[in-house]
Amino acid sequence: MWLPRKVKEALIKNFFLVVAATSIFIILFIFYFLFTQASPAFEEFGLNIFSNNWSYSKEQYGLGAAIHGTIIVTIGAMLIAIPLGILSAIFLAELAPYRLRMILKPIIELLAGIPSIVYGFIGVLLLTRYLRDSFDMLSGYSYLAGSLILGVMALPIIISMSDDAIKAVPRAYKEASLAVGATKWETIKKITVPSAISGISAAVILGIGRAVGETMEVSLVLGNRMDIPIPPFDFFETTGTTLTALIVHDMGEAVGVQRNALFAAGVILFIIVAIMSISSNILRERIEKKFKGD
Amino acid sequence: MRLKEIPKSLKSSFMGYFSKENFEFIKLLYLISIIFCSIVAIIGFFSLAFSIYFGDNVVRFLLLVIALIFTYFVYYSFFVLKKRKQMIGLTIFTIIVYLLVYLLPLFPPKYGLRDYDVDASILKFVIVSISLVIVGVMGSSLTFRPRYRFTSKSKEKSAYYILIVSILLVLYPLIILISSIVTKGVGGISWDFLTMDVRKLGTEGGIYPCIVGSIFLMIGTAIVAIPLGVGCAIYLQEYARKGLITRIISICVDILQGTPSIVHALFGLAFFVPIFGISLLTGILTLGFLTLPIVIRSSEEAFRSVPQNIREGAYAVGATKWQAIRTVVLPPALPGIITGSVLGLGRAVGETAPIMFTAVYFFGAGVPNSLLDPIHALPYHLHELTKLIGYKEVTQNAWATAFVLLAIVLGMNAIAIIIRERFRVEF
Repeated sequence: MWLPRKVKEALIKNFFLVVAATSIFIILFIFYFLFTQASPAFEEFGLNIFSNNWSYSKEQYGLGAAIHGTIIVTIGAMLIAIPLGILSAIFLAELAPYRLRMILKPIIELLAGIPSIVYGFIGVLLLTRYLRDSFDMLSGYSYLAGSLILGVMALPIIISMSDDAIKAVPRAYKEASLAVGATKWETIKKITVPSAISGISAAVILGIGRAVGETMEVSLVLGNRMDIPIPPFDFFETTGTTLTALIVHDMGEAVGVQRNALFAAGVILFIIVAIMSISSNILRERIEKKFKGD
Repeated sequence: MRLKEIPKSLKSSFMGYFSKENFEFIKLLYLISIIFCSIVAIIGFFSLAFSIYFGDNVVRFLLLVIALIFTYFVYYSFFVLKKRKQMIGLTIFTIIVYLLVYLLPLFPPKYGLRDYDVDASILKFVIVSISLVIVGVMGSSLTFRPRYRFTSKSKEKSAYYILIVSILLVLYPLIILISSIVTKGVGGISWDFLTMDVRKLGTEGGIYPCIVGSIFLMIGTAIVAIPLGVGCAIYLQEYARKGLITRIISICVDILQGTPSIVHALFGLAFFVPIFGISLLTGILTLGFLTLPIVIRSSEEAFRSVPQNIREGAYAVGATKWQAIRTVVLPPALPGIITGSVLGLGRAVGETAPIMFTAVYFFGAGVPNSLLDPIHALPYHLHELTKLIGYKEVTQNAWATAFVLLAIVLGMNAIAIIIRERFRVEF
């Protein structure tokens, strides 16, 4: 079919416009749909949705315990992932010889590709048993196990993004520091890492977002108990749950208000992650702007 | 409180001992406090390790308070000596030590008496003693400063060791995971296992329907996500004017990309399941929407890496916009798009949560005949087997399933990385 060039161009452009609009529409529709499904729960419970009161018999569905569990597990995961991740990123970006770097980078990307269910499987079969036997826990299913696995899972994203941020620091900065007689480590500590700090924090924030949203392995190793432990920071012996694990555990049978409450959990997760990714983006843009002039 | 503001009379009587002039006294106080803290910590630790609780909780609490007072003295001496870094460091380590030593035994086993075995005490011993050693080193580096001063060279060396140890710690779980799955999984792989139907809840038979289901899901996801995603990226990068709207769109894509897969599962369950039922199609759509932002992002990235002057060159010889995109922009961007898409599909095929309520049955699903049939899928099968672990044959089958899943996912990741490295176009 022969068409005038201009018409053809306009058709193609509009075709892509439709495709793009469809994608964007899908995205916005997911947002909208989640909120409408969750709103009955917010209407029914009001602020009680944040209370520690999850009872099937009384039809009270407060998400407090799950939110608490999410926070505890995420903090634990970050205690592992942030120091290890940043130090490894420094090693990769500044110390590793080119060849080692070319091997390690893909390996860390592979680590990011391992499905969460495999982590969960390993968590159940190796980690919880290990914890049970050598830390003599009751079952090994605990916040500690969840944090350990989540920490490992958050590592790749923190490492690869921090590595990019450190690599983006202009060479002139480092050379100036070395020229005045600083050792390499002093340069890293006082020049490179502080210059890359907004990129590194973007990485950390994204890592936290990832840890908050991970589902399967947490639901497998946490033990699914919907209650705030006493004392609230008891990390080692108690089983618990997170927002994600709660949804997986209860969604199959949930009806009515309980279902809406689970959607509310989804919305809370969604809002947390949205805040994380927006602030991470802002930080990343800042570092881009900062080094643009060089 | 600033030292200078203390009245002279007070300074000469009591606070005078703590003033900067009385340097030796502060050092002594600091040393005593460090020693005391260590003793308390060791007592607490041994009571933990051998389950001989030192008195009841009240006694332990009093000890904790006394130790805290002494720690305060350490802080004070740091403050006077203007050692900010040491203060921060000490804060972190005291918190860790107290958490480990005190909060742990405060909550004894709730489920009756248990025997503490030797392994356990050794591990706890290692943890606590490492933190104590660090506190001690910090203390001595201050107190006996002239004797053990770090040179910048020795600092660099120790920092390098820490960096190397940290990268090894990162690789350790990966090695454990892959080696255990390979060694334990390979034994369960046989032709029968790969080609037989699931029988008796996975305790017998093979995983053929799971593999087929996962592959169908992957193909379907690719059909849904890649055309939409690449088209969207072309429009956003090549046609749309940069402005507020494209910015908002890009934020939306970012948020959707970060959205936990369980939230996608909720969406699929509440929106698609009422229409299509629990079926292959529902799973495909849910996973497709999950993969969409990944494809959009990576394609945008690929288009952006093509420099502007190449497009201008094409326009200069009379190409229209579409001709320029098709002939000079798309070819160099293609490796990037394929890499991103394959990575996205690799992620999709390993996802469990989104298909759990939308596409799979553990009972009675077979190889699907149509899009509206429920299916088996590898990750969900592994999930159910993990829950069943403890029954006789399940563990072996679970390892083998994990091996197959890991092989598929890592294979796809490796393909993506190879494509990227092989066909990378440098401008």
